[in-house]
Amino acid sequence: MASITSVIPRPTSYAGIWGWITTVDHKRIGVLYGLTAFVFLLIAGLEAGVIRMQLASADNDFISAGRFNQMFTMHATTMVFMVIMPLSVSFFNIVIPLAIGARDVAFPRLNALSFWIFLFGGILMHMSFIVDQVPDAGWFSYANLTEKPFSVNRGLDFWAISLLVMGTSSVAGALNFIVTILNLRAPGMSMMRMPVFVWMTLITSILLVLAFPVITVGLIELVMDRNFGTHFFIPAEGGDPVLWQHLFWVFGHPEVYILILPPMGIVSEILPTFSRKPLFGYPFIVFSGIVIGIMGWAVWSHHMFTVGLGPVANSVFTITTMLIAVPTGVKIFNWIGTLWRGSIEFTTAMMFALGFVALFIVGGLSGVSHAVSPSDFQQQDTYYIVAHIHYVLFGGSMFGIFAGVYYWFPKITGKMLDETLGKINFWLIFIGMNLTFFPMHFLGLNGMPRRIYTYSAEFGWENLNQLASAGYVVLFIGMLVFMYNMWQTRNSRRVSHDPWDAPGVEWTISSPPPPYNFAEIPQILGRDHYWIVKENAEAAGTRIMEPEALVDPSSIHMPSPSYWPIFTAVGVALIGGGLLSHYAISFVGGVIVIMGVIGWGNEPAAAPSDHH
Amino acid sequence: MGLSPFRREGSSSQPSATNSSEPTGRRSSLKNRTVLFGLMAALFLFAVGCSKNGMSTWEAFGPVAQKQLDLFNVLLWTMVIVFFLIEGVLVYAMIRYRKRPGQARPPQIHGNTSLEIVLTIIPTILVLALGIWSVFTLFELEEPPEGSPEPLQVNVTGHQWWFEFEYPDAGNGKHIITANEMRIPVDRPIVLNLESDDVIHSFWVPKLAGKLDMVPTHVNTMWFQADSDKIDEDLPVSLFGQCAELCGLAHALMRFRVTVMEQDQFDSWAADYGAPPTVTDKAKKGQQVFAANCTLCHTIDGPDDPALSASRLTGFLTGGDITPVPAPNLTDLRSRQTLAAGIVDLSETTLREWLHDPNDIKPGNLMSDRAVLYQNGTASLSDEEIDALIGYLLDLR
Repeated sequence: MASITSVIPRPTSYAGIWGWITTVDHKRIGVLYGLTAFVFLLIAGLEAGVIRMQLASADNDFISAGRFNQMFTMHATTMVFMVIMPLSVSFFNIVIPLAIGARDVAFPRLNALSFWIFLFGGILMHMSFIVDQVPDAGWFSYANLTEKPFSVNRGLDFWAISLLVMGTSSVAGALNFIVTILNLRAPGMSMMRMPVFVWMTLITSILLVLAFPVITVGLIELVMDRNFGTHFFIPAEGGDPVLWQHLFWVFGHPEVYILILPPMGIVSEILPTFSRKPLFGYPFIVFSGIVIGIMGWAVWSHHMFTVGLGPVANSVFTITTMLIAVPTGVKIFNWIGTLWRGSIEFTTAMMFALGFVALFIVGGLSGVSHAVSPSDFQQQDTYYIVAHIHYVLFGGSMFGIFAGVYYWFPKITGKMLDETLGKINFWLIFIGMNLTFFPMHFLGLNGMPRRIYTYSAEFGWENLNQLASAGYVVLFIGMLVFMYNMWQTRNSRRVSHDPWDAPGVEWTISSPPPPYNFAEIPQILGRDHYWIVKENAEAAGTRIMEPEALVDPSSIHMPSPSYWPIFTAVGVALIGGGLLSHYAISFVGGVIVIMGVIGWGNEPAAAPSDHH
Repeated sequence: MGLSPFRREGSSSQPSATNSSEPTGRRSSLKNRTVLFGLMAALFLFAVGCSKNGMSTWEAFGPVAQKQLDLFNVLLWTMVIVFFLIEGVLVYAMIRYRKRPGQARPPQIHGNTSLEIVLTIIPTILVLALGIWSVFTLFELEEPPEGSPEPLQVNVTGHQWWFEFEYPDAGNGKHIITANEMRIPVDRPIVLNLESDDVIHSFWVPKLAGKLDMVPTHVNTMWFQADSDKIDEDLPVSLFGQCAELCGLAHALMRFRVTVMEQDQFDSWAADYGAPPTVTDKAKKGQQVFAANCTLCHTIDGPDDPALSASRLTGFLTGGDITPVPAPNLTDLRSRQTLAAGIVDLSETTLREWLHDPNDIKPGNLMSDRAVLYQNGTASLSDEEIDALIGYLLDLR
C-alpha cells in the first residue's frame, strides 16, 4: 500500500486553486467555511423573501402551497445547518488556534475533510431543487407526515441523507476542536485563562458530539422507513410518530445552544475590547455557559407541550425551562457589568455586539413565556414563536456573527471593513430586523398559526404582515451594504496587526497571520494576555508597535497539504447521492472512502521537498 | 458636552451659571417630552397590535382560555417591566460610559461575587414563582371543576384536511357524526377526545382553549366550556378554529367552526340530525347523481358505518391514484355555515364552484386528487347534474 500511495507525492504548493483544494491550514479552511456559508445565507435569505412576499397580502397566490412548504423548510434547514453552524465553525477555525497560541488544529487533514463533507452535503441538499423534489415537511420534519403515503417524492430523502452527510462533518469538526482546545494551548494558558470564545467553542463542540448521534439515529430510522420498509414512525404498523419528536428535540434543543453559545463567546470577546475593561465576572460567564450546556439536555419537551404528554411531564419541563433562564440572565448581567464604568468605543463590531445583547434580551424574555406551558398552549405553533426564534437566532446568533466578522476581518485579511458603511450596515440590519420580527409577536398573539401559506383578510393579520415584509426589504438592503463593504476592501489600505488595541493572543502576530501563526509559541501571561504585554511594555517605557517578526516559513515544520480529505469527502457524498439515485453509486462512493482512508493512513508525513 | 443630560457625576451637582441653566432645563423638558411621546407611541402601537379578531388570543369566551390568558397577562407585564429595566440599564451604560476624548484607561474591574450571587438569586426566585404558578394552573385545567354540569363528550378526528366530530351521545342516546362544524351547548363543559387517522394535526379554538395535538394512535383528552356571560352576542355564535400543526399541502386551509348554542337549540339540532329529507323530483335526480358518484367516500344518512370508515381509511393509506378515502359526513350539510373545512361560506354559488373544481377553493384537497369524477381536473358532470346535486345536498335537513 505504501508503494501505491508514495507514487502520489504530497502536494506542496500553497498557491493557486490547488493550494486551496489541498489546504490543511486552519485559516484557509475557516475562510472556505465562511464563504460557503455566506452563499447559503444568500439562498436562505431569498427563500425568506419568497415567504414574506407570499404573506404580504391576504389570500395571495404568488406561490402555491407546495412551494411555500418547501420555502420555509429549506429556509430553516439552510439557516440552521448550512449558515449559522458553519459560520460558527468558520470562527472556530480562524480564531481558536490563534487565540490559544497554536500553529494549527490538532488534526489538520480531518479539519479539511470536515469542510469538504459539509460543502458536498450542502450541495446534495440543494440538488433537490434541480430535480424539483424539495423537502417540504419543515426543518423539524415531524413524522408521520414524512412517511409514505403522505410524502411520496424524494424530498424527505434528500433532507435526511444530506443531513446525515453533514452530520459526519459536524461531529468530526467538533472532535477536532475538543482535542485542539484541550491539548494545544500555549504554555501559561490554563483553562481559566482561556478566552470565553474558546470556552464556548469547547462547550459547543461537546454538545455537538453528544447531540448529533441522537438525530443521526432518527434520520437513519426515517431513511429506513422510507426506503427499506421498516416502520419506526408509522402508526398504522405499530410505530410511534411521537418517538421522532423526542429524538428530534433531544438533539434539537442542545442544537439551539450550539447555535447561540459561539456568538455569545464572540460577544464576550468584543464587549471588553471596546469597553477597554476586562470581562466582568469571567468565571460566572464560563460556568453559566457550562450550566446551559448541561441543562440544555433537560428541556427538550418544551417544544412538545401540546403533544399531550400529560401534566406531570409538562410540569417538569416547565420548571427546567424556567430555570435555564437563570444562567442566561447571568450572562446578560455580566455583559452589562463589563460596560459599566468602561470607556465604550462604538465601532461597528461593538454596535453589533451591543445589538446582540439588546435583542437577545427580547428573545430571552419571550422564551420564558413559552416555558409557562398553560400559556404556551395558546402560543405554540403561532407567529409568536417565529418572533422568538428570530430574536434569538437572528438578533442573537447572526448579530454575534456580524460582530465577529467586523472584529476579526482585519486580522484575517489585513484590511479593515469600512466603519461608515459598517454603521449604515448595522442600522439597516437592526431596524430591518425589528421591523420584520417584532410585529410577529402580535401576529402570533392575534392567532396567526405558523407555516400557513395563506390567510383570510377577516382576521386582520394583513397590516402586521405587510410591516414584516417591509422590514425584509430593509434587511435585504442592509445585506447588500454588507456585501459591498466586503467587496470594497480589495482597494483599502493595510492596517496594523492590532487595530483595536485588543487583549487577545491573536493580535500579537501580523495581519494576515503567516501560515505558521506563531514563530515562537507565546508564554501566556493572563486572561487578557496582550493587554498585560502592552502594559508591561509601557511600564518599562517602551510601546509595542510591531507584531511578532516574520520568519522563513520553511524553517517551521507545518503539516503539508493533502489530496486525501477532498478525495474521501467525494466518496462520502457519493454514498449519500447513491442512496438518492442508484445504489451502485453508493458502492462506488464506499470504495472511494476506503481508498481514501488507506491513502490517508499511508500518506508520507511530509512533502518530498520538505526536509524537516 | 457640558449641556448633555448625561454629563459626568460631579459636574451636574455644581451650580451652573444662569445663562447655561436655561438651555439645560429646556433640553431636559424636551427630552422628557420625547420620552413621554415615545411611551405613548409604544402604548398606541401596542393597542393597535393587539386585535380581538376571531382567532385572537386576547379575548376568552370560557374558563380555560381565560385562565391561560390571565397567566399570559401576568407574564407579559413581568416581561415588559424586566425588559425596560434591563434595556434601560444597558442603554444608560452605553450613554453614560461612552468613550470621551483624552479619557484615561477605565478602572480594570474583574467582577463582584456578592453582586453575582444577588443577581442569580433574584431571577431564580422570579422564575420559580412563575413556574410553580404555571404548574398549579396546569393541573387545575386538567379537568372541569367540581360541581360543573355533566360534560358533553365529543370525539374529534383529524383528517387531511378536515375535522370530524362524533357525539357518542348528544342527548337521549343520539349518535351524531358531522364535519368541520362543531355545535356545543353553552355553560356546559365539553370533553374532547382528540385523535387522528393519518398525520399529526392540532386542535385549536383560541377563544375557548389553547391547542392540543391530534396524534395517530394516541387519544388526547382536553376540555373547554363557553360561558354565556363572556359572550356579548346572541346565541348561536360561531367561533373560529384552525389546525395548528403542519399536516401537508392544505394545512393552511384546514379550519373549522365551533357554534355555541343554548342547550335547547342544541337539543333540537341533535333531534333533527339524520331526519329523512323531503325528496322533490329535482332532488330525486340529485340523489341518483350522489348515489352514483359520491357514496364511496361520503355518507349522507346519519353516522358512518364503522366498517365502511375503516375500508375508506385503508384505501387512503395503501391505495393508488383512485381509491375511496375518508371524507366529511354530509348528513346535516344544509345546516352548516361553511364549506371545504371552514374555507368559504356555504351557498349555492360556492357549492357549485366547489363541485365544479374543488381545487379552485382548496388546492390539494383529496376529492379532486382521488375521486374518479375529477380525474380530468374538473367534474365530469353536466351542469344539470351539478344543479340537481346542489338541490339534493342543500335540501337535506
